[in-house]
Amino acid sequence: MAVRPKVAFFEFTSCEGCQLTVVDSLQTHPELLEAVEIVRFREAMSEKGDDYLIAFIEGSCTRPSDEPHLKAIRERAGVVVALGACAHLGGVNAIRNRQELSELRRYVYGDKAEWYETYPARPISAVIPVDATIPGCPIDREEFIRVVKAVLQGRAPQLPDYPVCVECKLKENVCLYLRGKTCLGPIALAGCDAICPTYGDSCEACRGLIPNPNIESLKNVLAEHGLSVEQTMAKMTMFLTYQTMESEAAAHGNGKR
Amino acid sequence: MSFKVIPKAALPDWIEQMRRSQRVVGPKPLHGQHVFGEIHGAAEIDLDYPTTVIPPKKYLFPQQEDLLTYKLDGSAPSVVQDAEPTVVLGLHTCDLHALHLLDRVFEKTHVDQPYMARRAKTTLVSIECLRPCMSHSFCKSMGTLSVTDGFDLHLTDLGDDYGVDVGTPKGAALLDGLKGVREATGDDRQRVNRIMTEKWPRFPLRLEFDVTELPSLLSVSYDSKLWDELGERCLACAMCTNVCPTCYCFNVADEVELTLTAGKRYRVWDSCQLDKFATVADGHNFRAKRGARQRHRFFRKGKYQTDAFGLLGCVGCGRCAQACLVDITPVDTWNELHRPATEGTKEAAA
Ligand code: SF4
Ligand code: SF4
Ligand code: SF4
Ligand code: SF4
Ligand code: SF4
Repeated sequence: MAVRPKVAFFEFTSCEGCQLTVVDSLQTHPELLEAVEIVRFREAMSEKGDDYLIAFIEGSCTRPSDEPHLKAIRERAGVVVALGACAHLGGVNAIRNRQELSELRRYVYGDKAEWYETYPARPISAVIPVDATIPGCPIDREEFIRVVKAVLQGRAPQLPDYPVCVECKLKENVCLYLRGKTCLGPIALAGCDAICPTYGDSCEACRGLIPNPNIESLKNVLAEHGLSVEQTMAKMTMFLTYQTMESEAAAHGNGKR
Repeated sequence: MSFKVIPKAALPDWIEQMRRSQRVVGPKPLHGQHVFGEIHGAAEIDLDYPTTVIPPKKYLFPQQEDLLTYKLDGSAPSVVQDAEPTVVLGLHTCDLHALHLLDRVFEKTHVDQPYMARRAKTTLVSIECLRPCMSHSFCKSMGTLSVTDGFDLHLTDLGDDYGVDVGTPKGAALLDGLKGVREATGDDRQRVNRIMTEKWPRFPLRLEFDVTELPSLLSVSYDSKLWDELGERCLACAMCTNVCPTCYCFNVADEVELTLTAGKRYRVWDSCQLDKFATVADGHNFRAKRGARQRHRFFRKGKYQTDAFGLLGCVGCGRCAQACLVDITPVDTWNELHRPATEGTKEAAA
């Protein structure tokens, strides 16, 4: 490739674990550096270039002052990619969206509460148009490479639109429900190669919901497997708060509730 | 062909002998269930297993397999040929019946090269089940509880020995030179007969009607309310089809290298239960409702396959029933359709 497209990384409210995974991918796929030129990447360099074609944005928008920054990135970049669950879904940060924010702020910051601006956490796509998304907490490095490939080829990346159970069964895992545990795999978007169930842990749906998930039916399944309503809600809140609140609001708007 | 006897004590030697020329795969325990995997020695295999998470069809039609590799310089693509000589040791008769159907599917309308290549290099050693593998199985109702052909070798557990029905020269060759193998005597045949007679009553008939009625039952059940009820519960997780020995839907996709100079084409199992399965070019989904997808699945299993290939699409292995988190099962579904079919006529008459 003659001209390598310039790439920049940005972080909003997040743990920067997804960017660490990017650093990881560069070690396993060094050819990535032949395909692009990185002009800004806090995890790995001190330069801060402002001329870029592709912007990877990690983290959710959690305060008013994030918005102008996001808009400025959108204006400069030709392609904006949301990187990881926080940018994609609001992430764990959105758990607070179901609670009273002023109380939360006092709980976290004590008498300094007024020093910090904050509002409900939102995915990047709620603030600016996003061209592509890499789901996951953290992102999957193979998927990161696949998305970069697609973007370089000028295509919208094809992400799985089916549940984690598919990948789990294709790997021939014994279902966690048959091992006395529970799992959100049936409603969670695949693409992680079912890494959590493969290692015996429940899927928490960090990649968000599949299209048309049957949440009510899964709630019944969780209840049959001994989860209390609170436990089920806690499970559904970890990564799914923003998406479930949005669909509740939509249903409300349609007069369905 | 012929009937032989192998002492169980010869199993380690036999596996070692087969492994000299090919891969041996068989059932192994995993987290309280079993899966087919490579067998390196007799200590790993558990031939007295209930059933496996995924059927052994994965050796003929793997979950994901590369079809072509290509360069983006205009040169001709090359076909991936990675079929490995393999002995599938210890598949149950339901799974063997399922392969019989897959053979027809992959050979009849269009010859599927990757499947046929693997099939030619595979030797099937089946084993008779002497008790039901689990409460969900209904092989007896589906007529798959035993086999008369389709295997290379077929084993029956005789206690200290295996009775071996030799089905093909390929099967016979597996026994060449093995110490301890002998021709079956009249006594051995009687032992097999006794075991077969004793096994039969242990298996329940779980369908409430004769399976030959299934295709016609489905013909009159297209508009049943049951499909919507199943759709309410179904999670569209596709576990039922991914564990099924007779399902064969797949999707084909391409993956291009980061350097954009080369790529590959592969196929991966797909499922009619997934939300996007029936979505076509303009985004229209002609089976958008879960209930319609359930109906499609049960019609495939009980009618469409019979119409197209002359064999039932379900072998009664029970895997889908065990996997389904919302208890949607072929036995309950078909029995339910059978019940209102008679009640419905009464109502209509009243
Ligand atoms: S363990 Fe979870 S992801 Fe895997 S099959 Fe069971 S429910 Fe699905
Ligand atoms: S299994 Fe679930 S929680 Fe784990 S990485 Fe995959 S989507 Fe995320
Ligand atoms: S396993 Fe059950 S819930 Fe999942 S798609 Fe099949 S019928 Fe529906
Ligand atoms: S439909 Fe269910 S019972 Fe029938 S063959 Fe498939 S997995 Fe087995
Ligand atoms: S369904 Fe029947 S034939 Fe198949 S494994 Fe179970 S008992 Fe054996």
